[in-house]
Amino acid sequence: MGKFVQLVVDGLSTGSIYGAIALAIVLVNQATGLINFAQGGMAVLSAYVAWELTTHGVPLVLAIIASVVFALLLGAVVERWLIRRFEGGEPDTAVVVTIGLLTLLTGLCGWLWTYNNKQFPSLFPLGTVSVGGVSISIRSIGTTLVIVVAMVLLQVLFVGTKLGLALRAVAINPESAAFSGLRVGRLLMVGWGLAAGLGAVAGALVAPQLTLTPGMLDGPLVYALAAVILGGLSSPVGVVVAAWIIGVLENLAAVYVSFIGFDLKVAVPFVLIFVVLLVRPQGLFGRKTVVRV
Amino acid sequence: MTLLELEGVTASYGPVQVLDGVSLSVPDGGAVGILGANGAGKTTTLRAISGTVRAGGRIVFDGKDIRGLRPDRVAALGIAHVPEGRGTLGDLTVRDNLRVGAYLRKDRKGVEHDIEYCLDLFPNLRERIRSNASALSGGEQQMLAVGRAIMSKPRLVLLDEASLGLAPSTARTVYDAIHRLRVESGIAMVVVEQNANLAFTLVDSATVLETGRSVLTGTSAELKGMDEIRRAYLGG
Amino acid sequence: MARPTTPPTNLATPVWRRPWVGWATALVVVVVFVVAPLYLSVLTNQTIARVGVFAVAVLGLNVVMGYTGQVSLGQIFFVGLGAYVTAYGVTQGWNVVLVFVLACLVPALVGLVVALAAARLGGLAIAMVTIALPIVGVPLAKRLSDVTGGSEGLSTSFAGAPAWSGLADDQWQVYLVLVVGGAAFLLTRSLVRGKYGRAFAIVKGNEAVASSMGISPYRYKVLAFTVASLIGGVSGFLYMVVVQYTSPETLAFNHSIDLVVAMVIGGSASIVGSLLGGAVYILLPQLTSNIDSSLTVLLQGVVLLAVLFVLPGGLVSLPRALTRGRRRSGADRGPVAPPTSPSSTTAAEEPLTERQGHA
Repeated sequence: MGKFVQLVVDGLSTGSIYGAIALAIVLVNQATGLINFAQGGMAVLSAYVAWELTTHGVPLVLAIIASVVFALLLGAVVERWLIRRFEGGEPDTAVVVTIGLLTLLTGLCGWLWTYNNKQFPSLFPLGTVSVGGVSISIRSIGTTLVIVVAMVLLQVLFVGTKLGLALRAVAINPESAAFSGLRVGRLLMVGWGLAAGLGAVAGALVAPQLTLTPGMLDGPLVYALAAVILGGLSSPVGVVVAAWIIGVLENLAAVYVSFIGFDLKVAVPFVLIFVVLLVRPQGLFGRKTVVRV
Repeated sequence: MTLLELEGVTASYGPVQVLDGVSLSVPDGGAVGILGANGAGKTTTLRAISGTVRAGGRIVFDGKDIRGLRPDRVAALGIAHVPEGRGTLGDLTVRDNLRVGAYLRKDRKGVEHDIEYCLDLFPNLRERIRSNASALSGGEQQMLAVGRAIMSKPRLVLLDEASLGLAPSTARTVYDAIHRLRVESGIAMVVVEQNANLAFTLVDSATVLETGRSVLTGTSAELKGMDEIRRAYLGG
Repeated sequence: MARPTTPPTNLATPVWRRPWVGWATALVVVVVFVVAPLYLSVLTNQTIARVGVFAVAVLGLNVVMGYTGQVSLGQIFFVGLGAYVTAYGVTQGWNVVLVFVLACLVPALVGLVVALAAARLGGLAIAMVTIALPIVGVPLAKRLSDVTGGSEGLSTSFAGAPAWSGLADDQWQVYLVLVVGGAAFLLTRSLVRGKYGRAFAIVKGNEAVASSMGISPYRYKVLAFTVASLIGGVSGFLYMVVVQYTSPETLAFNHSIDLVVAMVIGGSASIVGSLLGGAVYILLPQLTSNIDSSLTVLLQGVVLLAVLFVLPGGLVSLPRALTRGRRRSGADRGPVAPPTSPSSTTAAEEPLTERQGHA
């Protein structure tokens, strides 16, 4: 029983990381209509920025905050100068652009910091805490909590503030939003910045565990994409829930289903997607989209 | 005093020239209609004004040359465009749609007051205030679109085919409300409307477009009296 | 709907478009390909052979992604599968021709099954599902070690030059690649120039329009994906011919990305572009690591982005772009539509608004 709870909590923690990246992908997709394959890459670069700061004596929390600020700017700049050009066109072309961006970011990190693993300090102590007789990793709880808080804050921004209203309006119909005086380009930059910021938080939280390398989030990106398919592109809540499900199931399957084991647990989310999508092509929570001719 | 002046306005989509010399003039507080057959360039004229398409010629609003300005800049100057197809933000509630309309305003109390005014103008919206805009009927969406436009306290409203897709009685209700709005607030309007009868209930004068050019301009009374107009647009 | 027919010639047609020039060039190329390997060094022949292997892989990717517009990030999986089938068959002592046929059919079958399920989903979902193939393929290859040799892989030695040919191994292999690869290219060329190619293009442009014309997007996506997988299998066979070794690393996910990058840089939706893509796949990493090995990946990203921005049609469109640049008189007529697709929507009300609405 104790093992089960541990696995679930750990699964929620990794699921939160996938969920943060997935949420960022959905955010960016709703605003600009494309899938950003470089979402993880942007988060890794931000994590490197945080790491670099800590090597110069900056306290970890400050370094992470600075990296989030960096990510906000990075996201805005990427939208304005790289992605803007491809926004009206085919989503498939834009996807290749983001793949190019991912390659560039990975190469940049590799060039500036080499491909060797770097140890990223952990925000949370590495011990366990005993809850109801079961020992649970503090880091897992902490990671899950921080990301949940970040997501809630984002939600509050979107629903409760004027800026959030503007971001939603622009995502729904940019031309119509401009008629009410909304500066669409600026708002798209903000949207991308926020998504990148969320990714930076996830990157900083998972780096201690995965060790910092340029390709650190390539694996989680794949899970995040699985969560996006599973949850549906139009449902932020859906992808987060899907990410948790994936995180937990993958952990449980690795331990309890001996055929799968640790190495094939990566197949779990995809089998799940396969099954779900055969029945509901729009994902668990998504809405059917109507394509106009 | 002339609020909006168009002179010899041209516009093209790539190689296709859609406007080839459109002229009209809107006095402060006045209402001018744009009539013409499908494809004559009526919608494009509004888009040229609001900056959605690049245009040539003269477009002067309140003494300022607004040609080439981005749509959000044009909106900030006081022109509200209610586009063809309404442009309602479907996933937002009715209230949020109206709030978006007031985006550029900083006076909270004024905004609340104006939301009340909109709901008074369009009582149907009051019951649906918390519904998503996409759940509204066509007529209600049109009302919402107009409401959103006036929330910015514009000096000029561009109305594009407000009666499109609406049942005649609904269209009349919408136009009655817009007429009341005009009387009470003195907002100037440019009205594109295929249903000329309906248009003439609202506008003081109109220009008729044919293949992108203004071929006839006159007061409502003059135009209604002309045989060609009667036959082509007013059903004989 | 553009028909790829040869334009009528008159005195004004530039020399390089006249029909006999095409035939003459082809003849020259064939002669060069036949003669050159006999005189080139072992290393050069091996490089050419490798370029050929991955040109075929890129060709397959082009069928499903360039021509039909479905982003596939799993092409390397089919290449790897073809390689494994080949390696297994050869180590079991089966007839080489049989092995080749299997190397074509097995990936094609797997591709068919995957496509039948994945093609039901919207475009981007296909991209995400095809990621799964190499991601799951690698641990699977490691797991099924009885068949695949596990992490250590399988090595073979079956493509040595037969005694009767009097050729060295590298020469034999390069000829094999040229013949088999050349056949694949020619067959694919006639596929995409015929009615299937036209159907692919319509599905790529606008699926709803395709349906309304009686062209089922689903069927053609499945067909394109299956063909791509088959071609991938051929590439895998050739891979074994040249490299004589396969392991789980062969089908690693980053290679799929590399294939997409190579395809875009070479030229998507283009036969010659696929050839250039193969060259890019092999030569670009060599080039960038010669400049500065720590900059390799970074430069690859830069090159890809530069191509997408400046030359979206890929290197193969360079001559066209240059001649067009000379002919254009200056002022832009309106916003330029971004990269690869032939847009099937009319200019009417859409294009300008997207531009104008942004800050």
